[in-house]
Amino acid sequence: MKMITSNIQQEEREIALWREMLAGNVAPFESLIDVTYDLLFQYGNKFCRDRELIKDCIQDVFLEIWEKKGSLNHNIPPKAYLLASLRRRLHRMMQKNRMLFLDHLLPDEGFDIAFHAEHQFIQTENDQQIASRITHMLNGLPKRQREAIYLKFFQDMDRDEIAAIMEIHPQSVSNLLQTAFKFLKTQWRSIVSLLLFLRFVA
Amino acid sequence: MDQYHNFTLEDFLWDPFFRNWVLKPTREDEEYWQNWLTANPEKTGTVRSARELVLSIAPLQAPLPQTEKENAIRQIVGNIKNEEELDETASKLRLFQPLMSIAAVLIVIAGLSWTFWTVNHKQEINYEALVSATATPLIEKTNQDKEPLLIKLADGSIVKLDPGSKVSYPAKFEPGKREVYLSGKAFFDIAKDPSRPFFVYANEVITKVLGTSFTVRSFTDEKEVSVAVKTGRVAVFTRKDPEINEKKDSRELTGVVIEPNQQIVFVRESIKMTKSLIPSPELIDNNVTTYDFEFDETPVSHVFSELQKAYGIEIIFDKNIMNECPITAKLSEMTLYEKLDLVCKAVGASYELIDGRIIVEGKGCKNI
Repeated sequence: MKMITSNIQQEEREIALWREMLAGNVAPFESLIDVTYDLLFQYGNKFCRDRELIKDCIQDVFLEIWEKKGSLNHNIPPKAYLLASLRRRLHRMMQKNRMLFLDHLLPDEGFDIAFHAEHQFIQTENDQQIASRITHMLNGLPKRQREAIYLKFFQDMDRDEIAAIMEIHPQSVSNLLQTAFKFLKTQWRSIVSLLLFLRFVA
Repeated sequence: MDQYHNFTLEDFLWDPFFRNWVLKPTREDEEYWQNWLTANPEKTGTVRSARELVLSIAPLQAPLPQTEKENAIRQIVGNIKNEEELDETASKLRLFQPLMSIAAVLIVIAGLSWTFWTVNHKQEINYEALVSATATPLIEKTNQDKEPLLIKLADGSIVKLDPGSKVSYPAKFEPGKREVYLSGKAFFDIAKDPSRPFFVYANEVITKVLGTSFTVRSFTDEKEVSVAVKTGRVAVFTRKDPEINEKKDSRELTGVVIEPNQQIVFVRESIKMTKSLIPSPELIDNNVTTYDFEFDETPVSHVFSELQKAYGIEIIFDKNIMNECPITAKLSEMTLYEKLDLVCKAVGASYELIDGRIIVEGKGCKNI
């Protein structure tokens, strides 16, 4: 299959900034924060709704990287490394907060992403229905499958990167994605037949 | 490499190369797909549908205003620059190292004697001091178990005392007020009695209620004291408050009043109180109404009012602007913040949490 060029370019830019940052330059470090901040914030938001806590954790992640810049690997893709660090730190902080606050009031935390469909992009009503049903299916997946799907299809992470971020074995990533797709496929069949039926009666 | 020839709509949807062409097209991608479509004209409809679906389906995004992001980045970079300056001064100072260690010893001695002085001269506000200062005899319960301990008070109120915490209370409350002392963390469910306000004294913080349920967390060795409300309203003030007597005696709740799903955090060192929302707001219990959060072409201002009622959290928005925005959505299975994310996204608005309230900003829907 053909390579994904635009992502490669973006990734190359991030790696370049990463290396310059490791060499101790503040300006590329600032650019690196700038190009990754939205992603980190959105990802953090899927675990925790406290924006201040997320921003604090992102800050800590970057400050720690700056502190350890002498000992960090030059050749790793920075995006996956940043996401993994943020995930770990957020979990730690939330565990601490859970003890601090009203444990009985807090629902079960975890990666909680919701997908939605923006209907303005879609011309036909039929496709709008499909879009709504797909988002509904996605939102019905278990949290970990949703996280794997999110990282793979919406953040262009490969299997090993997802494994590093979620702290699981690469094989488990494949399994999560496979299970998710098996589910989507079966659901999909019922959607398609339903829509065909609807079109037929209409 | 024409695997795409047999692709169904769904196959296209989850194909990374196809997605990439739709989402971040490069010139090569564009060329490839245009050629492919010319060669496979019968697929034009499927590709168009798949393209629209890829564009339309996305994870919900939390609003992150550009200024907020810039501030956050500035703060990180500012921290680094400060540290570097410190490092520089530190290396310059190394020249004077022998002198420095003497100075350090002197400072430590000075610090120690200051601490002794303050301990002896300033009365520290803690649980022991408060309990020993009361005139009425008190019962003290300490929870050394691993489970919370349930205590029923004389007026029917219930205290759920967390492990490692203790509470002192009189066997019978005085006529005009009910007072208890807490060290550690407890959840209070207070019997309603407006003629006898209920006070919880926890280190520097006083919580006053008429009848409600809430949690106080106040461990002697921790830097913060926090109060979070589950139902009803409570007033919180500090022992250092100049108007403490008026606030305590008033028949109404004055001072900082917090409501369900809000919390107060008191930073002991700086004597600063901040009001915010608890991390995961819940529906407030009232048996009168149940909410299904299903809206059909409802003006978004009505949706906000409904959320405000259901969660007991004030939502501030411009009614004139938001009245124009109709919304159709089913929000039942979501948390408050997810509901807000979705609703705001739908009408092109954003929200912020300020001072325990939700503030919505948007331009209305005339142009959407």
